[in-house]
Amino acid sequence: MSSDSEAAKSVVIERDFKAPIDLIWKMWSDPEHFKAWYGPQGATIPVAEFDLRVGGRRFVGMEVNTPNGTMRMWFTGEHLKVNEPNQLAYSESMSDENGSVQSPSSMGMPEGHPMTTEVRVDLVVTGDHTKMMLTHVGIPAGSPGAMGWNMALDKLATYVDANTTR
Amino acid sequence: MATAVDDTRLDATFAALANTTRRAILARLVEGAATVNELAEPFDMTLPAISKHLKVLERAGLIRRGHRAQFRPCAIEASRLKEVSTWADQYRSMWESRFDQMDVYLTQLQPPNAKRGTNE
Repeated sequence: MSSDSEAAKSVVIERDFKAPIDLIWKMWSDPEHFKAWYGPQGATIPVAEFDLRVGGRRFVGMEVNTPNGTMRMWFTGEHLKVNEPNQLAYSESMSDENGSVQSPSSMGMPEGHPMTTEVRVDLVVTGDHTKMMLTHVGIPAGSPGAMGWNMALDKLATYVDANTTR
Repeated sequence: MATAVDDTRLDATFAALANTTRRAILARLVEGAATVNELAEPFDMTLPAISKHLKVLERAGLIRRGHRAQFRPCAIEASRLKEVSTWADQYRSMWESRFDQMDVYLTQLQPPNAKRGTNE
């Protein structure tokens, strides 16, 4: 964990769960558990395939009911760190049903969503609870290793918030 | 709604932000508009080099420049930065609601009366 990657966080969320660490690990690694919580309200996760080793594939299918019918979304990625039960990291991109990467905006995702993002989950035992830290970092397409923009966002978003009338 | 054009533009924005000098320039512009000369001051760089960075920032929509050819003061484009910052905001609330669901699911898996400690 370099200080660079620490500074490059763009979404960091810390949560405390009243559950043993092994169960929280399964929330992320066991498809059946993952399907139970991962989807947004009104969505189901018909497909979750995790090849749980570094370089192993992740493939997730999501079904959302919209007024225009059922919308399917697919996400593909690769495991970057698999240290049971403390640390899981993976890359994630939107894809088609065959796992071919698609541009996020062509898939109707919010503007500004980077092509590939990286999700990291760190778990720590605290008594009979488990502390979970989620870090979701966006990596702009076509600029390998260039996560510096997150630092810019951290600083500049503060400025923007202070200077934009809501 | 996002389009392919927006996406390309955003790629340019992220690429523009992925550079120390350009972020330093933006940080300076946060304090107020400045000319190329003023922006070049803290850097050990030629004016053409600074101009090149400004062009990248301008193309990415992160700054706007005045029209007077000689001075062309630069100013930060807040709306662009705002737009770029939104994905993180959106994803934060998405994860928060997912974890709320994880909490509910965990409660179903481990009924509270089975093991109860001092809550909160």
